[in-house]
Amino acid sequence: MTEKPTSLDQDLRRLEEIVRTLEDDELVLESALQLFEEGVGRLKAAQKRLEEAETRVMQVLKDAETGGLRTEPLDG
Amino acid sequence: MSGTEEAWTVARLARTIKHRVEDDFPAVWVRGEVVGVKRYPSGHLYFGLRDAEAKVDCTMWKFAAARLREPLVEGTEVFVLGTASVWEERTALRFNATQVLPAIGVGAQAQAIEQVKQRLLADGLLDPGRKRTLPPYPSRIAIVTSVAGAAVRDIITVATRRWPGIELLVINSAVQGDAAPGELVAALEIVARLERIDVCIIGRGGGAKEDLAAFNNEAVCRAIAATPVPVISAVGHEVDVTLADLVADVRAATPSQAAEFALPDRRDIAARVAVLRAGFVSATLDLLSTRQQRLTRTRDRMGAALLDRLRGAERRLLTARGRLAPALARHVKRPATRLGHLETRLRPAMRHRLDRWEAALRQHAAQLHALSPLNVLGRGYAVARARDGRVLRHVADLGEGTQFTLSVADGTVVARVEEG
Repeated sequence: MTEKPTSLDQDLRRLEEIVRTLEDDELVLESALQLFEEGVGRLKAAQKRLEEAETRVMQVLKDAETGGLRTEPLDG
Repeated sequence: MSGTEEAWTVARLARTIKHRVEDDFPAVWVRGEVVGVKRYPSGHLYFGLRDAEAKVDCTMWKFAAARLREPLVEGTEVFVLGTASVWEERTALRFNATQVLPAIGVGAQAQAIEQVKQRLLADGLLDPGRKRTLPPYPSRIAIVTSVAGAAVRDIITVATRRWPGIELLVINSAVQGDAAPGELVAALEIVARLERIDVCIIGRGGGAKEDLAAFNNEAVCRAIAATPVPVISAVGHEVDVTLADLVADVRAATPSQAAEFALPDRRDIAARVAVLRAGFVSATLDLLSTRQQRLTRTRDRMGAALLDRLRGAERRLLTARGRLAPALARHVKRPATRLGHLETRLRPAMRHRLDRWEAALRQHAAQLHALSPLNVLGRGYAVARARDGRVLRHVADLGEGTQFTLSVADGTVVARVEEG
């Protein structure tokens, strides 16, 4: 199943929402299961984002003739 | 007052005067007119500073004189930075100059900056209300600065420490000199064309005051205001605030500080995620155990009710047998046999009914157990759902060829009914 990328901000906000909803006693079990699955996915995504280790540094260059932009790695 | 027997030597007097003047004398800027400039072959420079009321002799040692940007011109107004010193040999006071700036030029520059500021103010570009807030979790940051400067390295260092995984896009531009304003504007135009940029940092490493001119340039300020994403200025000067700082959404004193403003600290976020994870797990467990308790209670009540009915039936059966036996004994020739027959028929019938009740009870209990979410989550049951998320419970929902998703413990697969 493909997941569309979400921002960390969205993930964290949604997780807060999910926890609040799960704390509601009137929740239907079926919805709880769905929320549980979604929560696990978002926690994984947030964790993955935190574990990203590589900072990418690119230089943006403008072609003098065409005006087009291209990027290339910048040597630190 | 001391007597003549305690008379000071001249040298002591000179030394005392020197100490009194020089000790703790702060470095000060003095404004005055340059007079009597003499440059000696040694490289030292002598001149006077005067205004309408006073005159002070000044010296400028070779190393300081060598750094003068322009030669001292007789009769010009200047600012001179220096400290008071006493030339011991003659007990003569000299102002020891270390730096000289043309007063007229500085005044004109300040005036020009003020005029630009007024125009920016008039156009509302300095309104506090138009300051944009920085996004909490940026993923792409544009940096407008000189790739040869220290600013880029400082920002990379801080970014790598705080928020690795960030993408930094550097747009090279001169940050001082005549070409700087035009290049900064062009670089900001490139930033506006880039996609998915969250924040822009424009800046340079530290430097002398004169080098800040590009960041007081009107076109640069307007380009900053026109940038579609929040801009952090990092001109690298703690004291002087440039117009670029005033137009930018956030002012950082240094490029390192700009990176700190732009990026969250992964340790803070990791702590927040940990709190959320704990809340999530405990909320889920609470929810499941509440449901479990409810199911258990229901099951127990149903079980008790069924048992009651079974006991009632058993009692009725026994009573019936107790009443049947004497009646049969009275009316039938072979009562024992008839009763025996009846009992033989009744027993399996009753047994059969009891078995059915028991099976029903078991089945209900099993269903309740199967519904328990702990099992669903933990023991490999699968949930079949239609594409709209509806749970499929009946064979009727699963016609041949129906596509549905099957959720198992570690994920979801798409499935199709082969035989309906």
